[in-house]
Amino acid sequence: MALRLLSSRRRLGSIVLSYRSPLASLHSHATSFGFQQVKEEEKSKLVSNVFTNVASSYDIMNDVMSAGLHRLWKERLVGKLSPFAGMKHLDVAGGTGDVAFRIFDAVNSVKRRALRKVDEASIEETQIYVCDINPNMLNVGKQRAAERGLSDNRSLVWVEGDAEALSFDDDSMDGYTIAFGIRNVTHIEKALAEAYRVLKRGGRFLCLELSHVDIPVFKELYDLYSFQVIPNLGELIAGDRDSYQYLVESVRRFPPQERFAKMIGDAGFEKVEYENLVGGVVAIHSAIKL
Amino acid sequence: MYRTAARRLLGAGFTTSRLLRLPKPRPTTTIIPYSYCTSSMESPIGNQSVNPNQSDPTAAREEGHRRDESRKPRAEFQEEQARVLAASLRHVPRLGWTEEAMIAGSREVGVSPSIVGSFSRKEAALVEYFMDECLQLLIDRVDSGLDLQNLIPSERVSKLVRIRLEMQIPYMSKWPQALSIQAHPVNVPTSFKQRAMLVDEIWHTVGDGASDLDWYVKRTVLGGVYSATEIYMLTDDSPAEYRDTWAFLDDRVKDAFDLKKSIQEAKYFAQDIGAGVGKSFQGLMNGVMQTMSTRGGRSSAF
Repeated sequence: MALRLLSSRRRLGSIVLSYRSPLASLHSHATSFGFQQVKEEEKSKLVSNVFTNVASSYDIMNDVMSAGLHRLWKERLVGKLSPFAGMKHLDVAGGTGDVAFRIFDAVNSVKRRALRKVDEASIEETQIYVCDINPNMLNVGKQRAAERGLSDNRSLVWVEGDAEALSFDDDSMDGYTIAFGIRNVTHIEKALAEAYRVLKRGGRFLCLELSHVDIPVFKELYDLYSFQVIPNLGELIAGDRDSYQYLVESVRRFPPQERFAKMIGDAGFEKVEYENLVGGVVAIHSAIKL
Repeated sequence: MYRTAARRLLGAGFTTSRLLRLPKPRPTTTIIPYSYCTSSMESPIGNQSVNPNQSDPTAAREEGHRRDESRKPRAEFQEEQARVLAASLRHVPRLGWTEEAMIAGSREVGVSPSIVGSFSRKEAALVEYFMDECLQLLIDRVDSGLDLQNLIPSERVSKLVRIRLEMQIPYMSKWPQALSIQAHPVNVPTSFKQRAMLVDEIWHTVGDGASDLDWYVKRTVLGGVYSATEIYMLTDDSPAEYRDTWAFLDDRVKDAFDLKKSIQEAKYFAQDIGAGVGKSFQGLMNGVMQTMSTRGGRSSAF
C-alpha cells in the first residue's frame, strides 16, 4: 500500500499522517469496515477512531458482552502458549494488556516454583512486549500495570506499532499472540507475514478471535444476540452504538476458521490447528514457525 | 500390533510391519537422536528380509514416495519434535521428566523453547518417546543377531526382559517420576498400549505360536512379571549392577512358566477324570474352552 511505503518503516503508529498522495488514489482498493466498503487508507483511520472511543470502557464492555467468558478464553490462550522463564513474547493489538498480564503471572509463578531447576543458560530476563496501534489503548494498559504495581517492571514493555509493519527484529520472539485484534487489521496476510518474520525458529503463533458458528439453532441465537443486543449495550454502557455495530459486523466479515487456517499456513507456518470455543463463537488458531 | 508401533515410531505414512524389521546399521549403546526417521526413509526397501511374514516391498516404495512428496512439511515438523525429544533425554537424569528438561533440550537443538508448548501432554510425550525408542532398540538388538538358540523359552524371556530393563538404568534415579506420569489417567491409554506392544514383541521373539486364549494369558502374565521387576529395580542397590533384580526376574519367569505347565496339567487331569465320570465334564470344559477361544480369536484384532 502506498501509504505504508511512504511513512517511515519504524514509527507507524500515528494515523494523523494519513495524507493522500496522487499514487494512493490511483491504486486504492476497497476493503471492508464491518458491512460497509471503505477505501483501504480509511479503514485504519476508522478503526483507530473506534478504539479511541472505546478504550476507556473496553474492559467493562468485554465483560458485559461475553458475560465474563473472555477471561476464560484468554486463560486458555495463555495456557496453550505455555510461557517459560526467559521468553521474549510479543502481544500484538494487546492494548489494555489482558493477555500480557496473564503471561507475566504465569511466568513468574512458574519461575518461583522451578527456581531450583533453572538451567544456568536460561537466566535471561523475560520480556513481554505489548504492541498496539492505538496510544489510548496503551495508556489504559499502562494504567492497569500501575495499579498492579508493575509500572517499573522491566519485563513489560509497551510499544506503539502497526501489526502490518512491526518494529521488531527478525527471529527475535519466542511467542506471538494476537487476541481479538486480527480482524481489525487491513491486510491480514501482511500481519501474518510480519508474525512469521519476527518469530524465532520453533516460535509459536497464537490467535484468539471471534469466529464463525455453524451449529444450526445456536447460530441463529448468536446472530440475534450480536445484532440486537450488543449495539444496544454499547450505547448504554459505552455511549457508542456505532463502534459496537462495527464490531459485530467485522466478526461476520472475518474469514471462517478453515480459511484463516489456510492463510496462516500460506504465511509459512507449520502445524496449523484451531480450537473452537463455545461452538465457534471464539476460535484459537495456533501454529509453529520452523 | 506392529502397525500401531510402526505408526507411532515412524509417523503416519508408514503402516506396515516390515519396517520394524529392516536391517539398518545403528549403534545400540546410546539412545538414538534424530537419524532414525531419515534413515528409514532412505534405506533401500528392495532387499528381502529374513522374516517370511512380510508383505510386498513395492507397496512400501510407493508409500514412501507418496509420503515424501505430499507430506514434507509435516514430516519435517515431526522430525523436529523427535530431535527435541532426543536432546531432552540427555537432560532427564539431572532435571527429571519435566518441561525444564524439554526446554533445555530444545535450546540444545537450536529451536525456541516455545515448541515445548505444542507437545500435547508435554512430559508424557517425552516418556512415551523414550518407551518407543527402547522398543525400537530392543527390536534392533534382536534383529542384529541376539543369540537365543541355546536357551530354553523361560531363559529367553528373562534375557529379553533384562535387555529392555537395562536400557532404563541411566534414568533410574528419575524413573519413579516416569512411572507416575504413565499412570495419570490421561496417559494410561498410551502407556498401556506401549507396554502391550513390548510384551507382544518379546513373546513373538521367543517364538510364541499360540493364537487362542493362551495368547492373552501369556501377555498378561509377562506384563505382570515385567512391571514387578521394573518396580523391584527401583529400590535395588545390590552391588553388581542390579544382580538381585535379575535373580528376582529369573524366579518370576520360572514361576510363570510353571503356572503355564500346571494349567496344562490341570486340563489333562480333567480330561482323564472325564473319561471316568462320563463325557459330560469334558464336554463342559471343551465347550467352555471353545467359546472362550473363539471369543478371544474374534477380539484379537488388537
